[in-house]
Amino acid sequence: MIHFISKRLKHSLVLLFLASLVCFTLVVSAPGNVAVLIAELRGAVATPGYVEQVAEEIGLNKPLLMRYVDWLGDAVRGDFGISYRTGQDVSADLANRMLVTGILIAGSAAIATLISLALGFLGAFWPYKLPDRASRGLALLGASTPTFFVGALMIYAFSVTFQLLPSFGFAGPQSWILPWLTVAVLPAAVLSRVVRVGLEEAMASPFVLTAKSKGLGRTTILFREALPNITPLFINALGTQVGLMTATAIIVEPLFAWQGVGDYFLAGVRFRDFMVVQACLLIFLTFFIVVNLIVDLAVLLTDPRIRRQWS
Amino acid sequence: MHDEPLLNVSNLTVNLLTAKSAVRPVDGVSYSVRQGECLAIVGESGSGKTVMNFAPLGLMPTGVTTILSGSVKLEGRELIGLPEAEIQKLRGKSVGFIFQDPMSALNPVRRIGRQIAEMAELHLTMTPRAAEARALELVKLVGISDPAARLRQYPHELSGGLRQRIVIAIALAGEPKLLIADEPTTALDVTVQAQILRLLKDVQRRLNMGMVLITHDMGVVAGAADNIVVMYAARAAECGPVDKVLVNPRHPYTKGLINAIPRKEDPIGSEFRGLPGVPPTLGAPIRGCAFAPRCELAVATCSRNRPPMVPTGDGNVSVACPVVNQGKAAA
Repeated sequence: MIHFISKRLKHSLVLLFLASLVCFTLVVSAPGNVAVLIAELRGAVATPGYVEQVAEEIGLNKPLLMRYVDWLGDAVRGDFGISYRTGQDVSADLANRMLVTGILIAGSAAIATLISLALGFLGAFWPYKLPDRASRGLALLGASTPTFFVGALMIYAFSVTFQLLPSFGFAGPQSWILPWLTVAVLPAAVLSRVVRVGLEEAMASPFVLTAKSKGLGRTTILFREALPNITPLFINALGTQVGLMTATAIIVEPLFAWQGVGDYFLAGVRFRDFMVVQACLLIFLTFFIVVNLIVDLAVLLTDPRIRRQWS
Repeated sequence: MHDEPLLNVSNLTVNLLTAKSAVRPVDGVSYSVRQGECLAIVGESGSGKTVMNFAPLGLMPTGVTTILSGSVKLEGRELIGLPEAEIQKLRGKSVGFIFQDPMSALNPVRRIGRQIAEMAELHLTMTPRAAEARALELVKLVGISDPAARLRQYPHELSGGLRQRIVIAIALAGEPKLLIADEPTTALDVTVQAQILRLLKDVQRRLNMGMVLITHDMGVVAGAADNIVVMYAARAAECGPVDKVLVNPRHPYTKGLINAIPRKEDPIGSEFRGLPGVPPTLGAPIRGCAFAPRCELAVATCSRNRPPMVPTGDGNVSVACPVVNQGKAAA
């Protein structure tokens, strides 16, 4: 177990380093010159001379390798530099925003888990009957509706029409519900299929015949025999979906005027604010890697066959 | 002996309907098992031996409609027409099942102890703690070393033979009166087969249970069974006490089966003696005797009328073959 964790941690560090290289390369090779934008932002006329001066000032003229080493060296110490646009400390900005995005993703993941298990079990309990067809239809609808549209529908339904929930802002649990639901729709749809198909497959296994021969009822078999068998599968799929939620956050946070990492990233991209973009990318990648690590550990705990290889 | 057999099957017919097809894997078969008795059901793959025993107890795959006719009486209680909820109560409690492949018959992600103990909780209404103790007893009963450690293990940590012992322990946990063992040794190593068969025979005698042993291994039949039913293409060809049927087979199919067993005297490298032809498919209804196309004794009437099971007068042996029965009548 310890061996497994230390090995996976080492892998993760290597992965993170490679990821940082990719982020940096992507960002510096993006078109556009931030020095021009900064010059304009300062209200000056962007003459070539002034732009050159700005570039020199913010270190754009240093060799790429130097810039990368400087940036990474600071980043591992938690210093992501100063935003070109606002002049604020990126790390300080991110600290607050990570909490916001964390709340968004945690809540959505929980909701997606509950909804997908409910829909999946509904389908597995009455296979090919009405509940199954309904849950399949919902899944298809949920998986094929774009998230920004889902968000707009949520606002239209719950804020405008029924006036139950606030349409934007980050002010306590009531204002969290709509963003949570919006982000949860797609993963819930995808995961419900994972649950439904996984359960059907498990219910066709020979050990379910054994369970039936023991005199266990269908509900007991579903929960006691089939569910533990699909748990590792479900955790894997959930991990992927949670990782992808960072991408959804970029769409949903601006929609609900949440000052999260996704919103920060979008603002950074618009302004070629490399410091912000790089920091956000690195945070997203770290999050993805950590989620994967947790998934592997959880699978290890839920599947004795895999556990054995590492003990 | 007792008047009432433990299991009495008469004229059982099973029709299976799927979305696309209808088949009759069991066609008018009768047999019975008394307490403390072992009945072997022999036949090739697809001859209906498993369906015949599983269908009346509701162990059919979902998506298949099972239509039963005839009569299946367990301890005098008619199973055909009994609602599934009632049959569910009998499974595990009155009838224990042992399956062919112990590698897949146990749930891979649950501890062995739980898989045995839940039977005791369900059927003997024990507390989880008492059920654990019962599981330990059972694991000892089926001859597993280091029983306490085994209960904490998962199926993949055990060998095939040990797993089959666990499956047997599960089948025994509800204190059933009847065991149905579906080719319990087929998936095991040859060396382990004999041990498992001996164990089954031993627990069956000790607990005085009835046992139905489904197999296609004549060695297993000779070693374990009291009576035998030989199945061919969904029908019974011959039945009777093992010592009579194996020593003096009457039906041409039974003869062929026994003749096909390799013998010591066979020269090394000689061909196996098989039966000519292939068994019929179960889709089409069969007129007359199902074995007639492959039978060397067949006469014209064989493919016209279905031969009935007729007692031969020799110690409960019955044969469904007009030629054999005719010969007896003539003699």
